[in-house]
Amino acid sequence: MSILIKRKGYARTAETAPEDTVFRPQLTSLIDVMTFLLVFLIKSFSVEGNIITPATNLQLPLSTSQKRPAVIPSIEISRDAVMSEGAVIVPIGSFVNAEELTIPALHSWMLLQRQKAADTAKTHQVMIQSDRDIPFNVVKRVLYTCSKAGYTDYSVLVIQKE
Amino acid sequence: MPVIREKQMKQLTFIKNRPPSQSAEQIDLDVTPIMSMFLILLPFLVSMAVLTHISVLQFSLPPNVGTGLADTGEKPKVKLTVVVAPEYLAITGGAAMLDSLPLVDGLYPLDSLKAQLTIRKQSAQVADEIIVAVRDVVAMKHVVSVMDKCRDAGFEKIGLSSAAAGTTGGP
Repeated sequence: MSILIKRKGYARTAETAPEDTVFRPQLTSLIDVMTFLLVFLIKSFSVEGNIITPATNLQLPLSTSQKRPAVIPSIEISRDAVMSEGAVIVPIGSFVNAEELTIPALHSWMLLQRQKAADTAKTHQVMIQSDRDIPFNVVKRVLYTCSKAGYTDYSVLVIQKE
Repeated sequence: MPVIREKQMKQLTFIKNRPPSQSAEQIDLDVTPIMSMFLILLPFLVSMAVLTHISVLQFSLPPNVGTGLADTGEKPKVKLTVVVAPEYLAITGGAAMLDSLPLVDGLYPLDSLKAQLTIRKQSAQVADEIIVAVRDVVAMKHVVSVMDKCRDAGFEKIGLSSAAAGTTGGP
């Protein structure tokens, strides 16, 4: 960690300046920064990590709830469409003003998901990932469709407030 | 033996009397191992850090919408209901309006809601259950905030329902 600098062109006496000077960079501040960073990262270290990855195109609402999410089927409601695992099921514009509350495309998709998960104990659970600015009119229609497809346990994914 | 002792004492006195600049020059700390450790540890910790914590908020739907609640045939008990409208929050018990909380500076009075719910909970027929009835135009973030306050006030089971415009009067 030291750099050897040979200084030339200076007229010095043997007593005041040596021929070769060892230049040592000041690393104290760098180590200080590294130490603070290390403490912060150890504090936010999580062995489990997040088992649920929220959709990237929506902002989840904030909540003080501390209940950990489980891996169950989820419906993502972005500003443009209703999706699941990133795939668009139905655009919001196609049902938001409809008289019928049930969304046919979502209903058939959810029935299919229930048939696929028929051998597990989580067939009645569904998690809603909704954008924080989505009006309740859209969420209401999605929930109604879920209930018609036989889902009874609902949860909404949120970002935990500190 | 005393000669050696005297020599050691002289050396010690010399070290004590050295100027600080001279003593600092002689300490040569090798920080290479600690820097190497930092360089290995930091990328690992950055990759494993969880900066946003995700959680869930559980709720149920009204019995006439959901299929999981059985009809017991008993007279239904009156549950407290929080109506979330764009202009106000209201607490109702059955058809009776109990409290009405208008927006304060464009924000929902959530702390007042929690205080009122805590008071109302003591005289409620169903003390652990509440219904949050929401108007269509209300954004989801407000619904979650109201559900949070209901949970903070001690209501463990939260039902989510739709409130038709005009069913509950405002302030």
